[in-house]
Amino acid sequence: MSKANPSMPPTVSRRRLIALGAGAAAGTLAGLAPRPAAAVLKLDVTQGNIQPMPIALPDFLVEPGVPDPGMGRSITQIITSNLRRSGLFAPIDQAAYLERITNINTQPRFADWRQINAQALVTGRLERQANGNVAAQFRLWDVFAAGHVHAQQTSTSPDNFRRIAHIISDQIYQRLTGEMGYFDTRIVFIDESGPRDRRMKRLAIMDQDGANVRYLTRGDDLVLTPRFSPSTQEITYMSYGQGQPRVYLLNIETGQREVVGNFPGMTFAPRFSHDGYRVIMSLQQGGNANIFVMDLRSRSTMKLTDTAAIDTAPSYSPDGSRICFESDRGGRQQIYVMGGNGGPASRISFGEGSYSTPVWSPRGDYIAFTKQAQGRFSIGIMRPDGSGERILTEGFHNEGPTWAPNGRVLMFFRDTGGNSGPHLYTVDVTGRNEQRIPTPAFGSDPAWSPLLR
Amino acid sequence: MKVGVTISTTAHIAVLVLATVTLTSAPPKITAPPPMSVALTTTSDESKLAAGVQNAPQSENPRPFVERVGENRPVEDPNAKVVENAKEVPAATDAAAPPPPPLPQPKQLPKKAEPKRDVIAEAIRKDNAKKSEQTKVAASPPLPPRRPLNAEPKFDRRKIEALLDKRTPQRREATGDAINNALALGAPAATAAQLTQNELDALRARLAQLWNPPAGAQNPQELVVAIRMRLKPDGTLAAPPMVMTSGQSPMFMAARDSAIRAVFRGQPFDMLRPETYEQWKDIEITFDPREMIRG
Repeated sequence: MSKANPSMPPTVSRRRLIALGAGAAAGTLAGLAPRPAAAVLKLDVTQGNIQPMPIALPDFLVEPGVPDPGMGRSITQIITSNLRRSGLFAPIDQAAYLERITNINTQPRFADWRQINAQALVTGRLERQANGNVAAQFRLWDVFAAGHVHAQQTSTSPDNFRRIAHIISDQIYQRLTGEMGYFDTRIVFIDESGPRDRRMKRLAIMDQDGANVRYLTRGDDLVLTPRFSPSTQEITYMSYGQGQPRVYLLNIETGQREVVGNFPGMTFAPRFSHDGYRVIMSLQQGGNANIFVMDLRSRSTMKLTDTAAIDTAPSYSPDGSRICFESDRGGRQQIYVMGGNGGPASRISFGEGSYSTPVWSPRGDYIAFTKQAQGRFSIGIMRPDGSGERILTEGFHNEGPTWAPNGRVLMFFRDTGGNSGPHLYTVDVTGRNEQRIPTPAFGSDPAWSPLLR
Repeated sequence: MKVGVTISTTAHIAVLVLATVTLTSAPPKITAPPPMSVALTTTSDESKLAAGVQNAPQSENPRPFVERVGENRPVEDPNAKVVENAKEVPAATDAAAPPPPPLPQPKQLPKKAEPKRDVIAEAIRKDNAKKSEQTKVAASPPLPPRRPLNAEPKFDRRKIEALLDKRTPQRREATGDAINNALALGAPAATAAQLTQNELDALRARLAQLWNPPAGAQNPQELVVAIRMRLKPDGTLAAPPMVMTSGQSPMFMAARDSAIRAVFRGQPFDMLRPETYEQWKDIEITFDPREMIRG
């Protein structure tokens, strides 16, 4: 997989550069010129209208030689569905398009795209490279400013074309929203099948859009709480393996599995630090549980809490300087924050009910949690100091939030009760745009990977 | 004279007839006059207002000065150019009078004024003639005239034209919905066509409707974008909008593009009246989403 932009003719961007230069020069001149008698009228606009941006995505052109001529349409459909699912874009039906794109290196007829109210336009082309790979070029256009915004070429083997679509989706998303994308990511989760009383739970992995499901365990052992490593293709999870529940490490690519640490009791609720070098978890000792951290390089362990309560579900802040966790030391389960090396902890959750499964956002600005109050489970976020609590979704049973790598979207699982089972959902940090993620059977305990590299 | 009398008589009769008809047919309606609101201001406030003190209190409901009821029109158009309407007429000189040129008629003067002015001119001339006779008599003993008599500036009524201001008058009758004799000192709409708050609100509303700012940023300051737009009188952009703030982050770029898009999509800004073009041809808009994101 290579990301490069060698063969794209730079004419358009150069023209744009010149235009920008001219604009800047005009600006400078205007600044130097004596101020005209009529002063500039100043106006503040402080309210906007946040709504999905209409975007046009005609099918990628396919050059002769590409093994599957349908690939252009497939890539466009994956991008379209990614953008639509994000809730920030409103892809326009292709039937409405007035201009048929035949060459992505010439400027489109912006008036035609304005006519159908498109604000952005994505054009692309696939061609076969000498080594058999497929190269995808795409261009992003701003329809109203009538300008070229972004271009890139990506190449990969033909059977990996879905990743190309995700990478392009991320670029469009990032350029137009300013946020990092999250489409080129994977989800590890617990696949649940069979009747409720004899449910088989397997560790599974899939693309964030639900495609390419792969099973990582056979379902012999009960598995729980898988978590992605932020830097390697590894996951950590808890399994009942041989009797005593233990925290394991699993390499997704090689299938290699190992127990984390050599603890006398049950270990659970593991999670990687954001640098990927440490695993933090709970160890049960008698009637209480304390938090331990293990350095994966030196294999040394350190005890971070020492209370007569159950301290669990630890999660590092992105810079590793703090840890949030849940504890019932005050009676009910609440969220506490302590330093990265342990020490005194301060309680941050004070609302009605109990709080559990705190997860620090990869951006550092929020901690997501599961809240239980009045027999209902909701997913919410609060700032690391406990302020600004906001419930994003509420219902019979919602649990186990996990952050998209850009810290803007959360995934969780929801069980509506009755004879059915849990399903995976996403919601964004504003509480809008709830979406169900398709899984082959029931799914629970999702964990979002970092962006693939 | 006779014509005037006839017209006057006819008009009076018409008014009387009309009054009789309407007053008899419609039952007299007595409605209480609407309550008048009177704003009390102190004398010191008044004097501050008059002196143009910057922080002087605003008068409660400032209304422009209106002399006659009619279509809204202020006294002066500050943007009107001074136009020389008539050819320059040479002032009276000692040289032999040239053949009388055709009298240039200032456009704005009604025709009726012509004979009137003649009469006055005649009178003045007579008067002047007398005066010059007197001065001649009085001045002659101590200071013998060195110049011949005929060199004395002679009044020539045709030469009066040279002294008249032949520019189009800029002072017009101030018209409006209701007569208001109070000079509107400090009233914002007192002079010229003024950009109204309504126009500004409509402009702001259109931009707010079309502006789709990026939803969240860790540093919301980078979402604030100032855009300067120069407009043509038809309300379309005269040039691509200029970005007055700078930044490098992807978030700033997204915010900047969203603001530019709103400006492009808002065209034409037809809520702005062409009469007030001078005031809105160059606008700097600050798009600041911090308030809306905070909630």
